[in-house]
Amino acid sequence: MTTTNGVELLDVNAMVGRLPAEDVGDGSVAELCKTMDRFAIGSALVAHSAAWRHDPATGNRLLLDEIAGEPRLMPCWVGLPDTCGEVAPPAEFVEAATRAGVRAVRLYPGDHGFRFSGPDVAPLLDAIARAELPLILDLDQASWADIEQVAASRPRLQIVVCGLGYRVLRELAGVLDRATNVHVDLSYLGSHLGLEWLVERFGVHRVLFGTGMPVRDPADAVSRLLWSELDDENVRMIGAGTAGRLLGWTGW
Amino acid sequence: MTDVLTGPVLSRQPLVGVDVIDAHAHVGGYSRFFTPDPTPEAMVRVMDRCGVRLAVLSATHAIELDVRRGNEETAAAVRRYPDRLRGYIVLNPHQDLEAELARWADEPGMIGIKLHPDLHGYPLDGGRYAPVWEYAERTGMPVLTHTWSGSDVDDPALLASVFERHPEVRVLAGHSGAVADGFPRVIELATRYPNLYLEICGSFFTGRWLARMVGELGAHRVIYGSDFPFIDLRYSIGRVLFAELPLADRRMVLGTAFRALVDKEDL
Repeated sequence: MTTTNGVELLDVNAMVGRLPAEDVGDGSVAELCKTMDRFAIGSALVAHSAAWRHDPATGNRLLLDEIAGEPRLMPCWVGLPDTCGEVAPPAEFVEAATRAGVRAVRLYPGDHGFRFSGPDVAPLLDAIARAELPLILDLDQASWADIEQVAASRPRLQIVVCGLGYRVLRELAGVLDRATNVHVDLSYLGSHLGLEWLVERFGVHRVLFGTGMPVRDPADAVSRLLWSELDDENVRMIGAGTAGRLLGWTGW
Repeated sequence: MTDVLTGPVLSRQPLVGVDVIDAHAHVGGYSRFFTPDPTPEAMVRVMDRCGVRLAVLSATHAIELDVRRGNEETAAAVRRYPDRLRGYIVLNPHQDLEAELARWADEPGMIGIKLHPDLHGYPLDGGRYAPVWEYAERTGMPVLTHTWSGSDVDDPALLASVFERHPEVRVLAGHSGAVADGFPRVIELATRYPNLYLEICGSFFTGRWLARMVGELGAHRVIYGSDFPFIDLRYSIGRVLFAELPLADRRMVLGTAFRALVDKEDL
């Protein structure tokens, strides 16, 4: 599936499952795919809300069950430090993820109560980097200082920071300049002309298409990208090219 | 299935044959964050890219610091692009409110009043705003106010006492209270006060909320705005274009509803 202009869209920031306090639909795979169709989004990297808002191990299993048979969706597991034995040790976790076809790992250090740049999650980050699985992180989960520290100490780890807002460019520009393995998604890269400015300054491969649905309206990222002042080639790279390479996705 | 509003986005072409008015815009930079190019020139370029005919703006200089200098910047932008830009007169209860209103009242292109109780540290229902409500009620000039649900100074609920005192004044609740858990309350408020219009730009708004507002109030009570160049125009407009609403309702929100609030010759 492509837009009428031939642009493929691969959403790196989508979720299935219900949410407790937002009126955002039933969280089903069928509803997600229907929404993707409305916006000509061909494929998506998805996590499960149960892995975020309930229990990562349970949510990660649910995710695989629910998206099985839907080839447009790629699984993204949620990780935790194994300090309390809630999840498998890092090497086993990553091995299981890879075996299950998981394409990336999300972390919620803010909501799950650990420090992103601390020693507890470091072995997991090392294992994720070794396996060349991208790391997905919402900006409200960690500080820029922690993100930069993690990125600088693991150059092979590709980090995609999502949900930026419109007030971040002063800090973001410094981090992107120093940490070449940090990327951002489009779900709310809200600065006026910020997308064009970032692409010109740091290169097109630093920005990936992501919607943040179902909490965010996918219309935001779709309209922002397709109505950008970038040429079609750059739009294709942001729409799916760079993400496809990072995720090892050859589904089209 | 695409239509005249969604098809152009998916084919990377501007809207054609649709009258879009952005009722909540600014111009100029802002101290708290960097904006790559907040000039009128860049704003009109973005409007052209998307097919937005007109934007009604207030200078950031006026809302965050100095209304006199800021309103001059607004007027300069409007004079430079008389076919594309209109202005709001920003009024601050701490900065000669009545003198500033008199200064701009007859300026062509200044078609509304903008209040920002949050940045100006003064409650929306406070007495110093009385000349604003009296003037707006007398002239029919619409008032756009920043609102934020839960705020001490500009929770939309504070508008209730304004409407009790000035029932004819027409108010656009900027951001519709901004946060999702306040949207149901601002919809309920609008059912009680028919001259309250919900303007929909903001970080937490969605097409799903738009459909709910239109369903409960009618599309003529919901006004499209983007907040650009605070927030890129292309985030907020997509929510309207792709909303699961009839085409006529989306057109109404995009421009017809605001046109009904302003004299035809001013637009």
